[in-house]
Amino acid sequence: MTLHGGVRQAFERVLDPADVLSDPVKCRAYECDGLTGYRVCPDLVLLPRDAAQVAAAVRVCHEHKVPFVARGAGTGLSGGALPVADGVVISLARLKRVLEVDPANRRAVVEPGVTNLEITAAAAPHGLYYAPDPSSQQVCTIGGNVAENSGGAHCLKYGFTTNHVLSCEVVLPDGSVVTLGTDTGEQAGPDLRGVFLGSEGTLGITTSITVRLLRTPESVRTLLADFPSVAAAGDVVSDIVAAGIVPAAVEMMDTLAIEAAEEAVHAGYTVGVPAALVVELDGPVEECDAQFEQVKAICEKHGCTRLHIAGSVEERAKIWKGRKAAFAAVGRISPDYFVQDGVVPRTRLAEVLDRIAGMGTDAGLRVANVFHAGDGNLHPLVLYSAAAGETERAERLSGEIAELCVEMGGSLSGEHGIGTDKACSMPKMFSEDDLAVMARVQAAFDPHNLCNPGKVLPTPRLCGERPGKYRAHPLEESGVIERL
Amino acid sequence: MTTTTTLRPTDLAEVRDAVRDTPGRLAVAGAGTAAGWAGELGAVDAVLDLAGLTGVITHNPGDMTVSAHAGTPLRALTEELAEHGQHVSLDAARIADGATLGGLLATADSGPSSLVYGTLRDLVIGVTVVLADGTVARSGGHVIKNVAGYDLAKLLHGSYGTLGVLAEVVLRLHPVPKRTATLVVDAPLARAAELAARVLEGPFEPVALEWTSDGRLLVRIEGTDEALPARVARLQEVLGAGATTPEGDPWTRHAELTRGAPDAAVLRIGARPSLLPALVSELAPDAATAGLGTGVATVSLPPDAVADAHTRVHAAGGTSQLRSRPVGADAPAWGPPPSALAVLRAVKTALDPDGRFGPGRFSPWM
Repeated sequence: MTLHGGVRQAFERVLDPADVLSDPVKCRAYECDGLTGYRVCPDLVLLPRDAAQVAAAVRVCHEHKVPFVARGAGTGLSGGALPVADGVVISLARLKRVLEVDPANRRAVVEPGVTNLEITAAAAPHGLYYAPDPSSQQVCTIGGNVAENSGGAHCLKYGFTTNHVLSCEVVLPDGSVVTLGTDTGEQAGPDLRGVFLGSEGTLGITTSITVRLLRTPESVRTLLADFPSVAAAGDVVSDIVAAGIVPAAVEMMDTLAIEAAEEAVHAGYTVGVPAALVVELDGPVEECDAQFEQVKAICEKHGCTRLHIAGSVEERAKIWKGRKAAFAAVGRISPDYFVQDGVVPRTRLAEVLDRIAGMGTDAGLRVANVFHAGDGNLHPLVLYSAAAGETERAERLSGEIAELCVEMGGSLSGEHGIGTDKACSMPKMFSEDDLAVMARVQAAFDPHNLCNPGKVLPTPRLCGERPGKYRAHPLEESGVIERL
Repeated sequence: MTTTTTLRPTDLAEVRDAVRDTPGRLAVAGAGTAAGWAGELGAVDAVLDLAGLTGVITHNPGDMTVSAHAGTPLRALTEELAEHGQHVSLDAARIADGATLGGLLATADSGPSSLVYGTLRDLVIGVTVVLADGTVARSGGHVIKNVAGYDLAKLLHGSYGTLGVLAEVVLRLHPVPKRTATLVVDAPLARAAELAARVLEGPFEPVALEWTSDGRLLVRIEGTDEALPARVARLQEVLGAGATTPEGDPWTRHAELTRGAPDAAVLRIGARPSLLPALVSELAPDAATAGLGTGVATVSLPPDAVADAHTRVHAAGGTSQLRSRPVGADAPAWGPPPSALAVLRAVKTALDPDGRFGPGRFSPWM
């Protein structure tokens, strides 16, 4: 332990001493998040019981210049909750009260440790729900969703966490407490809430979140369709978009992903088909019915080999279970895997999948694909065996896939965040000036760089120094922008 | 007496050069449709007129994204996108007056359909901004789903030209609805609020739900040719026999009330929807629009009533900002400062350390 005893005592003065963990065995449980390849054992883990204790703990960090990392359920996939050496982890697991459900105003106020699905559970008796639905929604917390600006299958129609959070009470890195955002979408001044959302825990710790709730749609129609090729399935998505239909969700899985999911949860997917699409529409019953007929016709036009329509709530749940279990299910067909999260313009899906397949072949590794086809957010799963010494190769391929997405005019990450995982790839997507401006904003919130340091922005320590000569802007290289 | 230079850049490089090579304080001008909003602009050495910085940069119909220069009037963009059956889902009244993309973003303006589509902050997916030191920075990108890096576009939303000059804006698009209908029913505010609550409880999915002080509730829905007539009929059952779908544009009066009378101060307020009717009744029952689902209202007031109105809105946990005011009138633009004022000032200092951009806009906060 490198933090001296005086710091620990300072934490013990503001928290119950039993809530300050220093036993390395106990602290080890916090050494990584869902990206298990990166591990750092924190010196101390703090388990505050309410917002006031979070603020008090952060004030101690600020006073002693101790770096801190907030942590929810630890389900993040980019190492955003990776502890820092000589720092503390502040777990928000005990802040799990639903503070208010206000059906008249269709909103709820919750603490950060409440899980995504618990919000919907609290809202459901009023016919309301919380829209963003990351696949991990049973366990991931709203605090983590705020940090990552989490998406989910249904964000194609309904938007991301940033579109559903009205305000956050935030403990700033100096321990002061502020409210970012308002009771409505209306702002008075720049949208600081919008910058905080998706800042990956680097600008402060949220202790209370006001979310919008939506009315549960009257009708939901879901189909699972098999296609003879990924390209054919992609054409279906294009035609749906061209018809002016905004589905609630459009998800695609390839052969390997289907095989894994089917083996794990027996959701009724067809093993061996090149591509399967899950299309879901929701809304008023008349709209849903009219558009569902159109979607079916589009599927048939593109050579759909099997069309399975969910006939009941249970059948729909089963289709989604297969889709949402896909990541974990890949563990059944490969000892280890990396998940990527790049985004490409949707119209380049077929092209990028071809390229990824080729890159996999070259690297001698299999890549399973599960993705949000409606918005071009890929989740290539690079399968490898650590025991067979494939880790480094798989990691390289995984990084190359993310960077390929940028070359195609997309993004390194659609919903998992940059975190530790992709910080060194940021110069592929942003120029030095872009990153320097982001760093200026970060420093305005956190001048001492105590709040989840080393995430999002590349650091020389992590990524090495870059040569100082002129480099073309990444978007210039990809032909998206022109040189000044 | 100092003279104010006007600079008219027509591309990003010219914006950068103008900012870098012009000393002193700068104001940014678009179409001038909101020049009098927020705090009164202080003395500046030069005005950056972006009326010539126009045009679509890239439109990808299949991806439903568009990037355009910040001086592009949204109505011009709307015309260009219409042939692809797409549009920017924003219906602020001043779009019809020629408001530009940059101006709409910088003023955080929005209209009734923000109930479903949100404000421009929810539609912007990327920006290029020129900072006071001439740095050109980009944030976001050209894809709808993207969490890489800090979302600086959000920061510029509502910044009134005080943090940087918006040069390019990337937006997500939506399909133009095949069919739209607005049901109108005569109702005093309290009754309108009851009806609005029933509409929101039901499966009707209104895209706009507004009361206007001429005593009408307007409910807009959109959808397909096949489905909309049945939905209108169902909605009529809730709204009562008096609900009609009138000829002509029922939203004209709403837009007029949003703009306000020339001799009035126009205050835009936001509060929990359940608190809004009482606030509006208190402030300006005869000159207001009230978003009964959004919680956003626009009220016209005598200028000397503005300070008190700010106080009342804030006492209700709401937000307020002054839009237009009569020429020469003295009315405070902002209410009590936000709890995050220190961060706001730190961000301002980080991006514009010498306070070059938009002096006075956030007076007295910063």
